[in-house]
Amino acid sequence: MASSGEVDVLHRNNVKISGKPDGRPIVFAHGFGCSQEMWRLVAPAFERDHLVVLFDHVGAGGSDLRAYDRSRYDSLHGYADDVLEILDALDLHDTVYVGHSVSAMVGVLAATSRPQRFGALVLVGPSPRYIDEPGYRGGFSQADIDGLLDALDANYLGWSSELAPAIMGNPDVPELGDELTASFCSVDPAIARHFARVTFTSDNREDLRAVVSPTLILQCSDDIIAPRAVGEFVHREIPGSRLVQLAATGHCPNLSSPDEVVAAITDFLR
Amino acid sequence: MTDAAGRRAHGEIGPPAVESSFEDLYEHAPCGHLSTASDGTILRVNSTFLEWTGYSVDQLVGSSFADLLTPGGRIFAETRYLPVLRLEGSVKEVALPVRRADGTTLPTLVNSVVVEAADGGPGLIRSAIFDATSRQDYELDLLNARRRAETSEERVRVLQRASAAFLASASEAAFAEALAGSMQEAFAATAAAVYLADESGRLELVAGAHPIGVADDVEPDDGPGAEALRSGRVLVWSRSGIRDGMPTAAQAMKEARFETLTATPLPSAGTASGVVLSAFGRERTFDAEAIALHEAIARQASEALARIRLQSRLERMALYDQLTGLANRQLLKTRLGEVLAAARRESGPTALVVLDLDGFKAVNDRMGHMAGDAVLREIADRLRSTIRPGDVAGRFGGDEFMIICENTTAASAEAVADRLRGAINLPLTGVLDDFSISASIGVAVHDGAGSAPAAADLFAAADAAMFRSKHAGKDVTTVVVL
Repeated sequence: MASSGEVDVLHRNNVKISGKPDGRPIVFAHGFGCSQEMWRLVAPAFERDHLVVLFDHVGAGGSDLRAYDRSRYDSLHGYADDVLEILDALDLHDTVYVGHSVSAMVGVLAATSRPQRFGALVLVGPSPRYIDEPGYRGGFSQADIDGLLDALDANYLGWSSELAPAIMGNPDVPELGDELTASFCSVDPAIARHFARVTFTSDNREDLRAVVSPTLILQCSDDIIAPRAVGEFVHREIPGSRLVQLAATGHCPNLSSPDEVVAAITDFLR
Repeated sequence: MTDAAGRRAHGEIGPPAVESSFEDLYEHAPCGHLSTASDGTILRVNSTFLEWTGYSVDQLVGSSFADLLTPGGRIFAETRYLPVLRLEGSVKEVALPVRRADGTTLPTLVNSVVVEAADGGPGLIRSAIFDATSRQDYELDLLNARRRAETSEERVRVLQRASAAFLASASEAAFAEALAGSMQEAFAATAAAVYLADESGRLELVAGAHPIGVADDVEPDDGPGAEALRSGRVLVWSRSGIRDGMPTAAQAMKEARFETLTATPLPSAGTASGVVLSAFGRERTFDAEAIALHEAIARQASEALARIRLQSRLERMALYDQLTGLANRQLLKTRLGEVLAAARRESGPTALVVLDLDGFKAVNDRMGHMAGDAVLREIADRLRSTIRPGDVAGRFGGDEFMIICENTTAASAEAVADRLRGAINLPLTGVLDDFSISASIGVAVHDGAGSAPAAADLFAAADAAMFRSKHAGKDVTTVVVL
């Protein structure tokens, strides 16, 4: 396996940098199913005060698909190592890491392995374990996860057409500009299947206690993927963490209620 | 022109009936129609959809569209369908499994479009839903058939690649690297390590690192590798499974960030025996097919290891004396040629020591060949421990030995020869009590001036010097300088 020294990390993860060059760095990590486009309604709000870093996990968006190594990405540690390599490549310190969905746990793993790079963690809709266990309710059974893989399969053919350049230019939503073309929320189907398995079978409950960075948990209303009880579990396990209940419903407040997300993060960093 | 068309052209009959009511068209369209608020709350649904799913309009309006989906479908909707819809404004032909009122699943294909509200407030999502039962069954059959074919192809490919890598391995180290690489490739293992048993059965690390940080390079008796080797089966350790029984190992796995370990024994064929450990960063389960693939790789590996070990044994047999383990005549000849060639280039001195045991025939005659062999092995051990690093000791006849001393002057060679005589003179206690033995030694030295002699000439001179020592009364060293 190539070491980080031999890999162009910024190219591999399609890292995009904007904002204030000497501002406090804030890194946004997208979850399963999409790409850094997930943050397009949130990230710009931080460009005035922060160095804003966006990236795609390998297999998503504009990442380098050739870098997909099944051994490396067979656990969330591989994704956490990628995050650390990005922070190293940009030499970021006191970083605010904002992770949505599975990337919340990716951030927990990265921040517990090298806390000195991190200044704060923002976990949006985190779940350390999706599958129910005795004494723990994650919300899903193994059969449900198999059902997700079937749903992915059923969309397999549809996905290949989505990978083709999408016809854009929705006149009602002018801010969705021309740059959203081939890489728009695109994911490689075979990689998505593996990523789904890795995401939804991981168990990171024990890793929460080791978090030492100041942590904000953003809990959505009616989020079936990360229910309230799970958010409260994360809050209990991470020492000193703060939990904020959002009015936003569903699992993607970064799209459905970006202003509320921006306000909660800004308030936490103040 | 047909009669009917002709009549229509002349206005004799009316146009074909058109939909008289858009309400009716909406309700009974040949697809489901569903409108939701931007948060997914169902606002309106048509009769076709109600018919297909068995719900009443009151059951659906006000509830969440996501609640209609199977749990797996809901995850997909939340992580994929909704984000794309929100970002792109529309999605087409997304496959979503809908749960009917009777608990069965209706596979559907959904087209959705976001309709912005005129005042810029939250809009609507309009969806057209198509029954995809037959199409989806067909596609899933195809997909599953393809996946089965791919799995079996993948299996063959993994085995072929492993086999090719094993075949290309000339040494145990290269073989072990190939085996570790094959396991990583086959099972997406984060790390792999290969232990091979030495003659005493100890498992020594040859490739990779022990996944749970055992300090030395020997697999401990209570390690997963040793246990797999004892049972002869593929062993799967999960951290959660061993936490109570083996807390130390479980803690080591935690620190190494591994959730699952497998240990696969190489089936013992002759002396070939070892084990390969694979480590995984998340909890993994292996079905019977995956376990069988572990075993198939191990079988191939075992055969390859047996071949490599046989080759190295044959190489040893061709170059080393079987009784004493010293260089044989063939190797001595090669080494002497090399040493003289180097001496020629560098004009350095070379010494050749020829050594013949005194009274060995008597040992053989009186005590038998077994005792004679024991004495030869003992003498060989003494030669090995007496010569200097860099000297090459060999046996070229029954009780005739030779030492090649590179870059060695006459004085140094004589000192070596005298040390050898001293070592040989020591009592043979424990080997052949009450016996002792001595050696007649001849040393031929070329001092480096002029051209170095041919190997045969140097040997002839040393051999002649040895005979002079014999005639001088044995237990003597004779040195000649060429």
